[in-house]
This record gives sequence, C-alpha cells and structure tokens, in this order.
Amino acid sequence: MNWFVFILISWVCFGLELALMPVLDAGSRGVHPSMVVPLLVFVAMNAPRKPTMWAAMMLGVVLDLLSPMPAVDGGTITIIGPHALGFLLGAHFVLAVRGMLIRRNPLTMIVMSILVMLVAQVVVVAIFTARDLGANPLIWDAGDELRKRLFSSLYTGVSALLLSFVFFALGPVFGFNSTVPTRFARHI
Amino acid sequence: MQHQPLIVRWSMPITIVVLFALAFTPAKWLGWTDWFAAQVKVAIVPITHPLTITIDTIVPTRISDPEASERERAISAELARMELQLYQTRQENERLSNLIDQYARGAAITPELNVKQVTRPRIANLAGDVLLIRTGNVDGLSQGTVVVADAVQLLGRVSRVDGRTANVLPITAPSSQPIMATVLLNNDGSQARCFLKPVGDGTLRGEVARPALDENLSIEVGQEVRLQDSQWPTSAQMLLVGLIEKVERNESQPLRPRIIVRPTVGDLRRVHEVILRIPITQENNTGGEP
Repeated sequence: MNWFVFILISWVCFGLELALMPVLDAGSRGVHPSMVVPLLVFVAMNAPRKPTMWAAMMLGVVLDLLSPMPAVDGGTITIIGPHALGFLLGAHFVLAVRGMLIRRNPLTMIVMSILVMLVAQVVVVAIFTARDLGANPLIWDAGDELRKRLFSSLYTGVSALLLSFVFFALGPVFGFNSTVPTRFARHI
Repeated sequence: MQHQPLIVRWSMPITIVVLFALAFTPAKWLGWTDWFAAQVKVAIVPITHPLTITIDTIVPTRISDPEASERERAISAELARMELQLYQTRQENERLSNLIDQYARGAAITPELNVKQVTRPRIANLAGDVLLIRTGNVDGLSQGTVVVADAVQLLGRVSRVDGRTANVLPITAPSSQPIMATVLLNNDGSQARCFLKPVGDGTLRGEVARPALDENLSIEVGQEVRLQDSQWPTSAQMLLVGLIEKVERNESQPLRPRIIVRPTVGDLRRVHEVILRIPITQENNTGGEP
C-alpha cells in the first residue's frame, strides 16, 4: 500500500467528514455519515493484513483527537483509544470475511461500511460506558449514544456508495492493483 | 517473520495495549491529549475550511428574510443587537437591585454581627441532596459556614470546602441533623420552641412545646419558624427556617402539636445561587469579595 496516498486520501476524507457534518447531520441530532469508514473498508478489503491494522489505528487515533467529549464542568476531554480500538476490530472483521467478498462491487462497500461502522461504534459505546461506571466527569448517555451511532452506521452506507466509485478508481494509485489471493484462490 | 527485530514484532500488541490503557485513563490525566488534538486540527483545517466554504456556497444557511437588501439586513442585525443589550441591561439591573435588597435584609437579621455575605452559584447537585457551589477563593469559608438563600431563608451549612468548590448540606436533606427552632406566634414576641427533623420530601416535621395554656396563643398554618439552636453559629440564629404548612393535633399530648414546616424557597436543592454568611474576624478581614 502506498502510504503517502493513503494519508492524503485520509486527509481529504477527514476534511469532508468535518465539513459535511453540519449539512448532513439529520436534524442536529448527532446522526451523520462517516467518510473515513468507507476508506478503512476499502483499505481492509485490498491491503495486506499488517498495513490494514496500522491504517485502522491511525484513522481511529485521528478521529479520537477530533472528537472531544463534553464534560460535566462545561469543558471537553479528548480521550485517545475508543475509535482506534473500534476501527481495529472493524478492520479485523473485514480481514476475516474479505475472502468471501466481491471486492469491486459498490454493494460490498455499502454493506461492509455499515457493518464496520456498527462494530466500531459498539466498541466506542462499550468503552465510554465502562468508563462511566466509575467516577466519570463526562456527559454520557449510553442508550442515546447507541441510538445515534446506530443510525450513523446506516447513514454511512450512503457515503460508502458515493465514495466507492472514487476509491475503485484510485485503487491503482493506492498500489492495490497487485493481486491479492482470495479465500478461493481467485485473483481480482 | 522470525527474522524481524523484536520491537517490530511486538509493536502491534504494544500499541493495542497502550490504546486500551489510554481509553481507560482517568480524565484528569489526559490534559496532554489536547496538545495533540490541536496539532491534528491545525493539519485538518487547510482541507476543512475550503470545503466548508464550498459547501456553504452550495447549501447556504437559511436567512430570515431572503428578499431583504444588504442595508436592511444590517439594520435588522443592529436592532437585534440593541434589543439584546437592552434585555441584558434590564436583567442585570434587576439582579443587582435584588442583591442589594437581599444583603440589606440579611444584615438586618443580626446587626450586631459583622457578617460578610458572598453570593455564589450552584453548579451541580451531588448524591444525598448535597449542593455543589462554585466558591473560588473566599477568605473565611470553612466547614460549617452558614448558607442562606433569598437573603434570610436558611439553606444549610457547608459540609466540605476545597480550593474551588464547596458542598452544602441543606437542612431538608434526610442526612441533615435535626434543628431547634422557634415559632413566632404573634407580633408581641410570643414564641414556642420546636424540634424539627428533615422528612426527606423538602419539609421538616416536629413537635412544638407551647409555653403556656393561653388559648390566645395558637399554632397556625403560615406562622414563621426561625432558627434558635445553640449548635449553629451565632450568625445563623433567627434565620428563617420556613413557614408552617400543616398543624397536626397530637391526641396523646394536646399541648405538643406536630407541625410540618416548609422553607419559603420551593426546593432548597435547586436554588440558582446561595449566599454564604461568613463572620468577619481579624483573620479573614483582609480579603474576599463582597
């Protein structure tokens, strides 16, 4: 995988996600699509195992740094880890099933993006809820967050559909034109 | 794979462990993450800002009157700003007037005592009906300091003080100690002592010891109950505990009716701000805010 291209595309994806968030946020209720997860899914479906894991952690850490949590004292706290671990598990999920996937199909991107986002958000909610068991200065409502993130996962399917065409076109630039053996030894 | 250096082979598990540890690190130890967040924001702004401008151009934000000219919009915005300033000034004026009135009434309770009254906001409630007050650095504030609301309504006592906040236990909290008080029977100074315990529903209940069998002296709904308890500081004596809400006849002891007293403030746990009554002594006469 070409790391320079990956970082550049990640940068654009984060920019798109943050810029489109207020426009695509359905009713300002915290439901918005992710632009980063389709990229992660695309990388996880095509790149070797280790670069995929590192890419997932990098995207997750950056998202953690861009997602400060509101605190009860009116401030915010930046916690590194929840999204990174969530993306790591999501990437692992794609790696586990990618042998059975039709990789250059937008439908695959949509379904996998929804599932990866769901897995990642469940991890995020679990970590923050576990933190909430102790003396937690964060404002956290697990049920409400889970609902918002579930709908965001479904909404990510829309962004995955649009981005899949871009990513498929950029595949050679990523360095994914080399064949990756599938589970059934079929080369794409 | 076996030929890779140890650090390379273990880098992934170590990173995962570090991420786990960071995810569960207490928030007070995560202040340093703000620096990294700021760097990421700096890196992301060059792409976010042009995209935001583009998106705002494509999907403009809704404005109140799209037909209005630039000049009309400017005048309208200026009018809205002036209205806001007017309302803020009126509100501030009213707040200061009330504050002066409250300080004057509070000082009149014990004119012989030099008490510093400091108003501080309630920022939260803790378990057990405890109020969390943002105090800042107030000289003389200590555990046991008397706290009132609405000038003369006794609220409770400070139960803990740290550098920036104080915990206040209201007199109506179930864990609060019973208090001795006096019922003002009429304007000529007739009083009846009572021993009040918090019930847990925002009221205090207790028996009244009537001073005499005089039929003219009766315990009635609406009479004032004021603090008269040697366990409380002198600066707290005769502060208002509340008004009698209900009088229950005690069949076994006709001379000791039971009363239910409710503070004049609806819910002591939800006052917006409290007044700390700090006696001025030689030690704490030098600083603090009025």
